[in-house]
Amino acid sequence: MASTKAKILNLVLKVWRQSGPKSEGKFVEYPAKGISTDASFLEMLDAVNEHIIADGGDPIVFDHDCREGICGSCGFMIDGQAHGPLRSTTVCQLHMRHFNDGDKIVLEPWRAQSFPIIKDLMVDRTALDRVVSSGGYVSVNTGCAQDGNSIPIRKRDADEAFEAATCIGCGACVASCKNASAMLFTGAKVSHLALLPQGQIEREERVLNMVAQMDKEGFGACSNTGACSASCPKDIDLTTIARLNREFVKATVNKHNTDQKLGDG
Amino acid sequence: MSTLDGKIPAGNIEEKWTQYKFDMKLVNPANRRKYNVIVVGTGLAGASAAASLGEMGYNVKAICIHESPRRAHSVAAQGGINAAKNYQNDGDSVQRLFYDTVKGGDFRAREANVHRLAEVSVNIIDQCVAQGVPFARDYSGLLANRSFGGAQVSRTFYARGQTGQQLLIGAYSAMMRQVEAKQVELLYRREMLDLVVIDGKARGIICRNLLTGEIESHVADAVILATGGYSNVFYLSTNAMACAVTAAWRAHRRGAFFANPCYTQIHPTCIPVHGDNQSKLTLMSESLRNDGRVWVPKNKGDARLPHQIPEEDRDYYLERIYPSFGNLAPRDVSSRQAKYRVDEGRGVGSTGVAVYLDFRDAIHRLGESAISARYGNLFQMYDKITGDNPYKTPMMIYPAPHYTMGGLWVDYNLMSTIPGLFVAGEANFSDHGANRLGASALMQGLADGYFILPYTIGNYLASMKLDKVASTHEAFKESAQGIQQEVNKLMSIKGNRTVESFHKELGRLTWEYCGMGRNEAGLKKALTEIPKLREEFWNNVKVPGESNYINPELEKACRVADFLEQGELMCEDALHRKESCGGHFREESQTSEGEAQRDDTNFCYVAAWEWQDKNKKQVLHKEELHFDNVKLATRSYK
Amino acid sequence: MVRKLCFLTSTLGMKYLMGASGLIWVGFVMAHMLGNLLLFVSAEAYNVYGHNLTSGNIIYLVEGALIFSLSAHVIQGILLTLKNRKAKGTQYHVQAAGNKKTPWASRTMIFHGTIILFFVIYHLITFKFGTYYSVIINGTEMRDLYRLVVEVFSNPVYVVGYAICLLLLTAHLSHGVASMFQSFGFNNRAHDKKIRMVGLVYAFIVGGGFLIQPIYVYFLN
Repeated sequence: MASTKAKILNLVLKVWRQSGPKSEGKFVEYPAKGISTDASFLEMLDAVNEHIIADGGDPIVFDHDCREGICGSCGFMIDGQAHGPLRSTTVCQLHMRHFNDGDKIVLEPWRAQSFPIIKDLMVDRTALDRVVSSGGYVSVNTGCAQDGNSIPIRKRDADEAFEAATCIGCGACVASCKNASAMLFTGAKVSHLALLPQGQIEREERVLNMVAQMDKEGFGACSNTGACSASCPKDIDLTTIARLNREFVKATVNKHNTDQKLGDG
Repeated sequence: MSTLDGKIPAGNIEEKWTQYKFDMKLVNPANRRKYNVIVVGTGLAGASAAASLGEMGYNVKAICIHESPRRAHSVAAQGGINAAKNYQNDGDSVQRLFYDTVKGGDFRAREANVHRLAEVSVNIIDQCVAQGVPFARDYSGLLANRSFGGAQVSRTFYARGQTGQQLLIGAYSAMMRQVEAKQVELLYRREMLDLVVIDGKARGIICRNLLTGEIESHVADAVILATGGYSNVFYLSTNAMACAVTAAWRAHRRGAFFANPCYTQIHPTCIPVHGDNQSKLTLMSESLRNDGRVWVPKNKGDARLPHQIPEEDRDYYLERIYPSFGNLAPRDVSSRQAKYRVDEGRGVGSTGVAVYLDFRDAIHRLGESAISARYGNLFQMYDKITGDNPYKTPMMIYPAPHYTMGGLWVDYNLMSTIPGLFVAGEANFSDHGANRLGASALMQGLADGYFILPYTIGNYLASMKLDKVASTHEAFKESAQGIQQEVNKLMSIKGNRTVESFHKELGRLTWEYCGMGRNEAGLKKALTEIPKLREEFWNNVKVPGESNYINPELEKACRVADFLEQGELMCEDALHRKESCGGHFREESQTSEGEAQRDDTNFCYVAAWEWQDKNKKQVLHKEELHFDNVKLATRSYK
Repeated sequence: MVRKLCFLTSTLGMKYLMGASGLIWVGFVMAHMLGNLLLFVSAEAYNVYGHNLTSGNIIYLVEGALIFSLSAHVIQGILLTLKNRKAKGTQYHVQAAGNKKTPWASRTMIFHGTIILFFVIYHLITFKFGTYYSVIINGTEMRDLYRLVVEVFSNPVYVVGYAICLLLLTAHLSHGVASMFQSFGFNNRAHDKKIRMVGLVYAFIVGGGFLIQPIYVYFLN
């Protein structure tokens, strides 16, 4: 396909190699020769790895799975940009036609204290799972549900909730943030459920718990630089962070008032 | 050969499941915490089962191959999920969903299972809405529906183009709630490499911790496999890279029968292969065929650009062969016709393995903005991947494997031939027969996990006397040693070919001989080639790195080793099934017009294969299929 | 069950405080700039304004609030920076450019913040605690601040330094004002662009208003 436009590139990769979380890492350069501009970035890495293996070396380790931009597995920094130069794109959907012959490309793993490096470009993002398990759900047991149409939801709210829910948990927001803040991730989760009637019952506990867990994991604070949203492959809006702040303040005040009342009683 | 008993409850089809639920044995809530259940796989089926069992009070261990359960390939389902809600008042019912699914499956599914699926479909939607799944809604605030292939009613619920991801987030977060409640222990980056069977019952699994390389033993009273399908046996498919048959295959080698491995579904509208570096294929929604016209040049080797090819030199082959259905011919038919064009040497693109899907006429007729409103996001996706603008130049498409109807054989309880081993979702063979209808995969995965397994597992546990077993049991030790030896063996071969090259070659064989069209000569050829390739693999594979830390090449090697065995069984099954049905097209069995011809007299059964020793032919068992409620009929598109 | 979390030490609470303490100074700089504009009216008006402002007790309250909020702002700024650096750990080898580049001002708040802090101190030393010239207007003896200002601003080195600091203050405000809305949670998609614009305009008004004074004094006197 794209027969008329496919070109062949020769590139140099400067890749961060690190054998384990505690080991010293360093950059190593690899040639990437004869890469078709139709190949995806990860397919280019596959080809480089095949050469490394053939030469008796240790292939570059990186996370990847669906390769269609929805599972959130892949992701690393390409020339200082999370998921590479294109907006609204994951690494697996970034194609080599966006690079030029002779380019030298620097690959670095996501950097955040809460995302320890496992090997090379692969990091451990389970901290995000723990933020979800602290409250990112509606506590409804299987079988308890009422009819799906019994609570109408304004289309505008449903659409906005959907947009927040499109987060794929890739961690690019944390990685691109100079503070390694997880506010966009947490904000998206909180927004998704705060906008739906189903999420109202636990609305306050949810935000308090998720923020507490987020802090416990050691993520930084939001400096509102917008790097997260610019890097987000799903274009999660920066204002979800404002909603997180709003929800958090409201919940804190309400909890304080309730605690006071209970204390008085 | 023996005849298998599906343990289908007696009674009218409408009452079977209700009666089952009444007749089944229950586990007292206080006793549930005494039972350990392992769920392998945390996609839709696995996560929903783990969440539901955790809520009920069982001790659940969930084994996840990824770093997070939210990455399972269920996320990739775009279209939607079917449910017989009849919200659109267009005459839908449980009975109609049941009928459509049996017929769509080309009469190779078990009626009772399909009916139960249709019954619980309505509960799934309720459950997901309650979890906060943001389904599409109309301006009244009520749930929206759309129609999908193989149905005359609008019963598909959707969340834009990412229904799978939204449903998975629902199931995943329900499971994470149980992780927080300590009802579910989540073990991530683990891959199941063996099933431990003690006294004829599944009592645990052996996993490799992908981070540390440690071989771990996990004991349980029941094991659920929800590990997806095996489309990656074709190397190139729309499946994710980690999708593998390994867990199911290891269970198969321990005695679970593998049913209908030759039933694989090839999706007609995928983005074609660009070259040798290609690692996977991407599916584009079938809806594109509503306005796009499929064509190839009339003449072989026509090197002109598409817009330079005049009307008289174009062959709109679907419109030519199926004048009434035209470009909307069913999935299997359009896939096969594309293959014929490419085989004739009339394929397009740099590889010659693609056909055009042209929107020129639709854009002329409706205008670019109307086409953009309908398919804007798909056009954008196509542009992103190929760098071509489909508004200006025709899309290129080609069929690709994307779902496998075959899988481990299960009875009505979703239990395999090994007591205590349950199989859910795409990993089992149960509900789709020889062909799956669109928007049914999500439905089946969640039905199994939320509404079927929680009952049938309780029934099993309550009616079995299970002795206490520890991970120090001889069977666990022996199995763990076996796995360690396999790993050591793979590491020690130090041959000359990469794992990837074996996988690619296997893919070429299976795709060529057991892909869209199958014939005796080809399958026999594959059956001689695959064992040779397997032998070479075990003597010449090169696995770099160490086995005691993360090593994706080693993981891949284990998976490819299993595909090399399973691919052979798939061809074996395809060879034995001399009829054409659903996704399985035997070129010898076609009508004079070239359409699939089913043979209900000889092949109206489920083929379940029993593993024998390595390099020994597997034994075929049959489960006869009875159609008491839907009359056997031929699908027709003329 | 709700997890234990202290609002003020949470990352969100710290940012809230950062915004709240900043807000007081956002108001102050605008008032200060507007007051200074009397310079263009006359020396007399300028001095009388200064005199009225400092007579009475209310000034102590205002000064107290300003010192308190500035301290809070500075301390929070330092704590947040330390926390954020720790959270980030290692910095990248290459900085983002192009599509995913972030505004310079937003990335460098602690840098201009620090310089502005030293500027404020130096500014106080120069003016508040600087040479006391006396003048009598309408029979009242008061400080001739105008004279001091003219004297200070006739030094080109001072004017350049002053201008640079004010440009940094503009940058600080251009990010800080809009960011404050975000931290307080007063932002949504409908208003996001407007709020950013308000922040930018505010910063330029304050910065510009301050800047024209030394330039005016230097070139015209």
